[in-house]
Amino acid sequence: MKILLSWLRDYLDIQMPPEKIAESLNMAGIEVEALHQLGKDIKGVVTGRILSREPHPNAEKLSLCLVDVGEPVSLSIVCGADNMKSGDIVPVAKIGASLPGGIEIRRAKIRGSESFGMMCSKRELGLSEDHSGLYILPADTPIGIDALKLLGLDDTVFDISITPNRGDALSHLGIARELSAIFNLPLHRKALDESHGDGEVSALTSVTMDAPQMCHRYGARIVEGVKIAPSPRWLCERLEKIGVRPINNVVDVTNYVMMDIGHPMHAFDLKKLDDGRIVVRMAKPGEKIKTLDGNQHGLESTMLVIADAKQPVAIAGVMGGENSEVDDSTTSVLLEAAWFDPVIVRKTAKTFGMMSESSYRFERGTNIDNVPIALNKAVSMILETAGGKAKAGMIDAYPVPHHVKKIVVRPRRVSQVLGVSFKPEQIETILNRLKFEVEREGETILVGIPPFRHDLEQEVDFIEEIARIYGYDNLPTTLPSIMAPPRKSSPITAIQNRLRDHLVSLGYHQLITYSFISGDIPVQMQEGLPLTLKNPISEEQGVLRTTLMWGMYDALRRNILADEYDLRFFEMGRVFQRNGENTVEPDRLSIGISGRANPRDWRRCNEAHDLYELKGLLEGIGRLNGHVLEFRNSSRDVFHPSRQMEVRVGGFLIGCLGQIHPRFLDNKKMPAHIYLAEIDLSGFAGLSSQTPRMKPISEFPAVQRDLALVLPIETVCEDVRQALVTEGGTLLESCALFDVYQGKGIDPGSRSLAFSLVFRAGERTLTEADVQPRIEAMTAVIEKKFHGKLRAG
Amino acid sequence: MSQSVETLRQEFRSASDAAKDSKDLEAIRIRFLGKKGAITALLKSLGELPPEERREAGARINTLKDELSQALDNEIAKRGATEQEQKLKVERPDVTLPGTLPLPGSIHPVTRVAQEIADIFLSMGFFLADGPEVEEEYYNFEALNVPAHHPARDMQDTFYLETGRVLRTQTSPVQIRTMEQMKPPLKMIALGKVYRRDSDITHSPMFHQMEGLVVGENVTMSDLKGTLVMFAETMFGKRPFRFRPSYFPFTEPSAEMDIQCIFCHGNGCKICKGTGWMEILGCGMVNPKVFEAVKYDTEKFTGFAFGMGIERQAMLRYGINDIRLLFGSDIRFLRQF
Repeated sequence: MKILLSWLRDYLDIQMPPEKIAESLNMAGIEVEALHQLGKDIKGVVTGRILSREPHPNAEKLSLCLVDVGEPVSLSIVCGADNMKSGDIVPVAKIGASLPGGIEIRRAKIRGSESFGMMCSKRELGLSEDHSGLYILPADTPIGIDALKLLGLDDTVFDISITPNRGDALSHLGIARELSAIFNLPLHRKALDESHGDGEVSALTSVTMDAPQMCHRYGARIVEGVKIAPSPRWLCERLEKIGVRPINNVVDVTNYVMMDIGHPMHAFDLKKLDDGRIVVRMAKPGEKIKTLDGNQHGLESTMLVIADAKQPVAIAGVMGGENSEVDDSTTSVLLEAAWFDPVIVRKTAKTFGMMSESSYRFERGTNIDNVPIALNKAVSMILETAGGKAKAGMIDAYPVPHHVKKIVVRPRRVSQVLGVSFKPEQIETILNRLKFEVEREGETILVGIPPFRHDLEQEVDFIEEIARIYGYDNLPTTLPSIMAPPRKSSPITAIQNRLRDHLVSLGYHQLITYSFISGDIPVQMQEGLPLTLKNPISEEQGVLRTTLMWGMYDALRRNILADEYDLRFFEMGRVFQRNGENTVEPDRLSIGISGRANPRDWRRCNEAHDLYELKGLLEGIGRLNGHVLEFRNSSRDVFHPSRQMEVRVGGFLIGCLGQIHPRFLDNKKMPAHIYLAEIDLSGFAGLSSQTPRMKPISEFPAVQRDLALVLPIETVCEDVRQALVTEGGTLLESCALFDVYQGKGIDPGSRSLAFSLVFRAGERTLTEADVQPRIEAMTAVIEKKFHGKLRAG
Repeated sequence: MSQSVETLRQEFRSASDAAKDSKDLEAIRIRFLGKKGAITALLKSLGELPPEERREAGARINTLKDELSQALDNEIAKRGATEQEQKLKVERPDVTLPGTLPLPGSIHPVTRVAQEIADIFLSMGFFLADGPEVEEEYYNFEALNVPAHHPARDMQDTFYLETGRVLRTQTSPVQIRTMEQMKPPLKMIALGKVYRRDSDITHSPMFHQMEGLVVGENVTMSDLKGTLVMFAETMFGKRPFRFRPSYFPFTEPSAEMDIQCIFCHGNGCKICKGTGWMEILGCGMVNPKVFEAVKYDTEKFTGFAFGMGIERQAMLRYGINDIRLLFGSDIRFLRQF
């Protein structure tokens, strides 16, 4: 919203610099986004009369003008505009003048003709966006005077952003009222009444209130014999400076009143209203209206309309209809000012996608007391700008009268909330400055909620007002005296923090990908039916992810296509799954690797990632969280059929890992060795981990033996290891695989597994006689149970 | 005999002094202390002495033997160490060859900043609470005093799910869920993803917020100021700050906190749009209507709440010019952190 400093001065005698005003508004919660001092960059612009206009000898679109700027020598100026004629008075930027945007006027030769200045459009002077032609000034404008003051360019525009609670500040009056409270300045308002006029308004029209809950008050006044024409210059200029396009003297007045006191208005052509009367009612099913923007709308019975005897003529508070529009032939005008329910205006405007200056204000709540004030102001302005005669009196249909609610403000509560004590008189003074009605009896303060402040409902709302005007910066800075009981972080947070640091130190980069993805992703990367967004930004982000798999795959793929092959990624985040009517959001970890396993190790940098590397990573993650993970064969379609595993803890399935199925390698650049894993961290967090108990450390030396076994190829390592551990008995301290071999020297149906065994006793030094029987027992079970044998020499 | 012993000692000394390396020393050992060496020869010659002299001469020869052997050992040890050192020095590493372990990866810039902020509040006695990202409208709006059809809903363009729930537009619903479960005194923060229907180079439809809440008896707006100033000074260093009135439906009074621009130190620059100030967070005293929703005694308890976006802080700190880079998973971006 744009606010004009000179307009504020209608209400306030405010003389401080604009920067100070902006700063003070900011600190009172009225955000000034920008401040434009209009004439700041303009120098050397005067009024001039065009004495002659000739076509430019060398350019079809240019003219050659002789301009009198009140100096002995008239200026010859080349001009590209086409709307001027000899005799017109226009703003002229003389040689040496400067204009907004850093433009300096110099003597110039344009297509062979010398030009001694420039005649200006409104846009060139920063007055409006209008660049259709030169700014033609009224014929009685003196020649050769400084245009700055004449054009109102010695003014400042504040660009103000108002929070949704402050509908009352959406006008010059509203901002003036704030400034009056901030600077403790008197606010001047002129009272107008409707008593004068030519015959009674009620003889000409009537207002029927069929939906009083939606429209508490509807006022109407009539002016007859108006002559529709452009508005006078001062009115156009004010509107243009705040970004409102002038239309005609009646419509401009209604807009002016809205920007002035914040109350939206509407003007109907009285003669176009069927039976010349107004009915405020709900729309009837099937009714239609073509609004002023040229669009046709089907109305619903939940919408409030202004109708004549026959049909809707406006959507209440949103926009007027074409059928009752004020146009050049209009002579009788019916002016509307009303109070409409904020919610119905908002709903209707939203339904039609038609947010107007009017609906914006009604949604935020308007001042019901302004209905007669707006009407009288508009009537007096129309009489001045469009002539005609007003009918005496107004129709003031007011079926739901507004009652001022009173709120108790307790000084004790004020200090309880703000942390600084206020005397009752201090509070009273501040509330008075805000133009609130205050009654004080000793310690008790009773404040009436003013009709312009719909955001004030409870005591604390007034406490904010007190703090705002007192100044937030004047409140002390203290620390809370309370002591809240300590709490541990949730298990999931602890796990996430631990894993993040662990993975990063192993060379992994953390990703954060969007929670919403396309509904079109491969079904193999989904778990169940995803939740769908009703209003996604795009189909690409239409559903919530059910796994982290797609985001990881997509991240790897896009990096590979950008020629980055060596990748180690992880992501921790939630996935979203249906659970009957509800949604569950398990926290998950996904891991993705591609390219070389040891890209920095120049001794073995050609080794590719493999399944066991990822398995090892997950085993480590399990160990960090106090769990031993179990790995089993699985058959997920997302993975290579023979290179995948599922992961369990204590029998519970918590995740999977594998090499991506070749069908997903859809680009030549993508290497085959892409591995993915996904683990449900909520699964970890839910399980109780074993607390380690320390075992004594033996002081005696160990006996080490290596055992190389040849076993049928289908025999799995862990079964063999378990059998060795069983046979090793209590003396066997550890049994670890150190070699797997297949090939030369080994029967093709077999492979060799070699284990490193460590025997140790807690209380004595072991001898060969202790170990040898255990080795023999192991060999025996390998032969009997696994049909294997010791590997020869 | 005594003369021979002394001669031998002299000979040993000069030989030992002349020795260049351990090889020479070994030759000296053989010459003097070997099986066929000079000492052995001397001992053998004992038989030629009269029996009464043999004892004393033998003792002297043995003393000499011990002496020479000790001297030789010392010399060998000394020279050996030097020689080994020389030998080890032959191999010189190429210190410019890369180390072979993988370099650490990276913590996402959003996580880095979020952790830093969270750590400050955790050290001030707050605890970390949590809530769902798919949220009921009640928790996201109504309980926070944002009724349906209120213009305040325009402040946050919401994603709706076909199930009727919403993607939370703020972390504030965690406040409600926490207060429903716990009684004051309470000092909590919540951290997580939030979603708004907005997308350009400074707005992402998904971003992160950190929220804080303090409830108890005699918790005041001055306490709010003190707590947040302490936070800001820890995070950004001691610099001027200001609190401006603002509007959030769930706080009353509401404020926004600015600190002096960390780039231009208040002189005005592009980043602070010439104002010299940077907005860092929104805050306010908990609206009693919110306490009513969680059945807290509004007369007894007061509280304050605050919230801030993480992405903006991360972008400012690391000079990231497009928010979409944060969620683009580009290794060339991630590697820089």
